[in-house]
Amino acid sequence: MLCTPKNPAIHRYTYRLLVAMSFYIAFIVVAVYAFREHITGPLAYLLAALPALPIVAMLAIIGLYLAEEKDEFQRNVLVQSILWAVGATLSFTTIWGFLELFVAVPHFDLYLVFPLFWGLVGVASPLLKRRYR
Amino acid sequence: MKNQLRVLRAQMGWSQADLADRLEVSRQSINAIETGKYDPSLPLAFKLARLFETPIEQIFSDEE
Repeated sequence: MLCTPKNPAIHRYTYRLLVAMSFYIAFIVVAVYAFREHITGPLAYLLAALPALPIVAMLAIIGLYLAEEKDEFQRNVLVQSILWAVGATLSFTTIWGFLELFVAVPHFDLYLVFPLFWGLVGVASPLLKRRYR
Repeated sequence: MKNQLRVLRAQMGWSQADLADRLEVSRQSINAIETGKYDPSLPLAFKLARLFETPIEQIFSDEE
């Protein structure tokens, strides 16, 4: 993604990401099957929030990658990409929130904020790298 | 910040990838430093100075 394939930090990042994604898929399946039944109480909240946990863990995985990546330039580009994506995500969600409040626009589900953010990181990263060519 | 990295690298007969391997960074990093678009941290600048056996001031100058 960010550096040479032999980079051990990237290897560890990819491995952790795959583990997190496997848990994500497993938890989605668990939640979907569980909610075929009528579940109430704390268990319902726990099951409903379960698929979000591996997604939240991705933030820690990125944090670990930033701590382990030896290439300061690559770290710099990723941090800049994340900052741009944070700004764009907050701008979009805030603007959309007011649009929903005052005019008829489709509802934007909150669980889509995270993929939106990572999509924007993916867009920002190559654009920022072009700056340094 | 200006630098003599390209010249020093050419004197050693190294490609950007060779230098990147020696510093354990990506080739993109070397390119960004050489073109003056990215200023390395002090630790990386010292690493470069040690590698080329030359003082940091002879690699980097703070003129625009």
